[in-house]
Amino acid sequence: MESASLPVSRPRSDSPPLGSLLGFNVVSATLLAILAYYFGHKIGAVIGHHTVWNTSSDQDDDAVLIGMGFAILGWIAGLGFFNYPIGRIFGRPVALHEGNEGGAWRYLRLCTDHKVVALQYLVATLFFFFIAGLNAMFIRAELTSVHGTLFPAGNYLTLVGLHGTMMLMMMSAGVIGPLGNYLVPILIGTRRMAFPRIESLTMWLTVLAGFVLLSATLLGGFPTGWTGYAPLADEARSGIDAYLVSFGLIGISLVLVGLNIIVTVMTQRAPGMTWNRLPIVVWGFVTTSILAVLSAPVLAAALVMTISDRTIDSTLFVSSSGGSPLLWDELFWFFGHPEVYILALPGFGIVLEILPVFARKPLWGYKLAISGLFGVALMSFMVWQHHLFMSGINANLRPFYMFSTELISIPTGFIFLNGMGTMWRAKIRFTVPMLFCMAFFFNFLFGGLSGVFLSDVPADTLLHGSFFVMAHFHYTIMGGLVFALLGGIYYWLPKMTGLKLNEALAKAHFWTMFIFFNLTFFPLFVAGMLGMPRRVSSYNAALHNLNVFVSAMAFFLGLSMLLFLWNLVYSLVFKREPAEQNPWDSKGLEWQLPSPVPAYNFERIPTITSDPYGYGEPGAVPVADFGGVPAGASA
Amino acid sequence: MRGRLLGVIASFGLLVGVVVVYFIFILEEAPPGVAASVHGTTAQLTLQTDASYGHAPYPDWVTYEARDPSGHWQHSTILKIPAGTRYVHVTVYEYDTATGLRNPFFAYVRGTVGGVIQLNGRPMNYVDAASPAHTFTAPDLGLNVPLPGIDSSAKNQCAAAPCRTSEAHNTISFTFKTPKPGNYRFQCIVPCALGFLYGFGGPMQTIGYMDGMIEVA
Repeated sequence: MESASLPVSRPRSDSPPLGSLLGFNVVSATLLAILAYYFGHKIGAVIGHHTVWNTSSDQDDDAVLIGMGFAILGWIAGLGFFNYPIGRIFGRPVALHEGNEGGAWRYLRLCTDHKVVALQYLVATLFFFFIAGLNAMFIRAELTSVHGTLFPAGNYLTLVGLHGTMMLMMMSAGVIGPLGNYLVPILIGTRRMAFPRIESLTMWLTVLAGFVLLSATLLGGFPTGWTGYAPLADEARSGIDAYLVSFGLIGISLVLVGLNIIVTVMTQRAPGMTWNRLPIVVWGFVTTSILAVLSAPVLAAALVMTISDRTIDSTLFVSSSGGSPLLWDELFWFFGHPEVYILALPGFGIVLEILPVFARKPLWGYKLAISGLFGVALMSFMVWQHHLFMSGINANLRPFYMFSTELISIPTGFIFLNGMGTMWRAKIRFTVPMLFCMAFFFNFLFGGLSGVFLSDVPADTLLHGSFFVMAHFHYTIMGGLVFALLGGIYYWLPKMTGLKLNEALAKAHFWTMFIFFNLTFFPLFVAGMLGMPRRVSSYNAALHNLNVFVSAMAFFLGLSMLLFLWNLVYSLVFKREPAEQNPWDSKGLEWQLPSPVPAYNFERIPTITSDPYGYGEPGAVPVADFGGVPAGASA
Repeated sequence: MRGRLLGVIASFGLLVGVVVVYFIFILEEAPPGVAASVHGTTAQLTLQTDASYGHAPYPDWVTYEARDPSGHWQHSTILKIPAGTRYVHVTVYEYDTATGLRNPFFAYVRGTVGGVIQLNGRPMNYVDAASPAHTFTAPDLGLNVPLPGIDSSAKNQCAAAPCRTSEAHNTISFTFKTPKPGNYRFQCIVPCALGFLYGFGGPMQTIGYMDGMIEVA
């Protein structure tokens, strides 16, 4: 437990811009990474010249991969992550904080303030989210004609792969990164994460992963979609190297984020913050972290195996040399299915945290919700082979995985019960965060029910690889997680920035997004049932009108996201209207602090006296005792 | 306020920059299409298959070249056929040596008029499965034409595209009915991508090399 009264210093005023640019920051990191890539590429080209495959194929995987390895080191060094460990070797004293001074420039470099890291995460993941969304617009534009004519056929696959991989990567980091890093320390009553430098490292690795993935377009693209199936990944051009490295970076980042959150929650909780008082959103982040720590290393191992296949001819996934392409499928989906819940569980936590505030009722079934989160987390490791029903797996395995997949709907149902129970007979305040949370349940219901169909072997035999699957996972991930994330952003951003968001724009964003999301993806269930395949730019002419309609709705959906973007720019950059300390009248610990939260969160570590859900309960005590010091006051 | 405005403009500029990169590297990367010559109701396509392209960025890759109506060879596999024609007549100058088929199913000629091809002037409906250097296969058209390779000991083999008819080659010609307007993918079934796993990487999946489109419009 951290000592109760750390010396609290105020951030210094902004450094001169030029001086800041010359230090360790994103600018120097970018330059160093590019130089290091060039240097590594040269070395890799020399090494690669002596390998068997490269001499005859004109592929330069060794050069590209070694270049990327050097670029990663250059990026980390440029940001100054080696400074502290090297300093320690030479006797520099132990320091918990680094880079917390410097005003706005803190956001462009290593910073150990979890609130700064969270905002860095938010901006970075939103940036890549919009890039991936742009890809989706391109995909829908291509599908407005029966025989796609907008993009070259091979490049369409790259487009689909970039969209899917970036969305999955960035959404994995997009919730646990900004909201997890921001909320966990505050909600458990501490001043920082357990490993602040690692926290910052995960953020900058995520940024690098996004740019490395984008570089696939410069390297010939990749044909595998987000699943990177062997042997296609072994055969593919150098663009797949970008996929392998970027996904690897995200995997490392996820493991580190997960460990950091688990250790923080286990060791840093304020006095009185018993497990029974832990906010449900923190439980969501904890269960997500457990999934990340257990599943992402398997992905990282599989990625390294593919890299070794492509460079040192290890043939781990090459059947003609004793390897097995199916091994990739197993390893990938052992990560891939828990990954779906890495996306879903924080969403569950967010909506269950927000619902009581606007229902003005206690969270119904707190322990049931925790068991639901853990139930989903545990069972997500027992269902992955439903992705392989059609891959020639042992037929005797199918009933087990069909059953286990259908069984996971029970703990998921707990979350629905919690939500419905909380809203039952409540006087609901239909604020924008609440609207997003309610839409989450509506959308996730369609996603969940269609998932039950897909878990059924006979139905999956017909629907596998079709747009039905595509519609299903968009209903769960976009309709579920993204709606929950947006609800969370509208709910917590005033606290994070100290600034209000424009409510009229926010409501316009919600309604257009909700309507056009459903008009985009529901018809795709029909397209899938009529046999429209995924990842193919040509389709049956009978489905043309349906696809034109879906594309038009998708473009409106894209426009609705621009409303969100405009709201952020308008409210946070131009209008800058200060937010109240507790605009939602919430009992949450974070809302007892000023907006934005001061540098070290709490002047004194509070004593937690209650859970934060005592709405409408006579005699409910405040959530914490701040020891007579105003909450969040700084020295 | 001025600083904020500049920040927004800079961010917007960054986004536009990313979009431009996308357009350059995704939208515009396709090689130019090559139109068929039209004689009456027949479109004439003239192609060659070369053992190595001989130029950057992938000099060692096996490739197609297509002759445009002015008689120049273009490095492209986007073949444009006028929808008003009834037949497509294809002549392929095959300069590569044999690799052989893994699946002898593709040694049979399918989808051509009369079910035959002319190999150096001789009609054939089947070739030895070990003899093809490549195939011209368009699954959506039910079209499969094996392209037998030259003798590996032949003198005067072509080193770089475009090859000349004075160099060792086989001439394969065939005709198929012009399909209805649309885009039809064609590919090579022979695992001819030297140096790639299973012989199916690199040029085999790259438009402009051994992967291509027949565009009927």
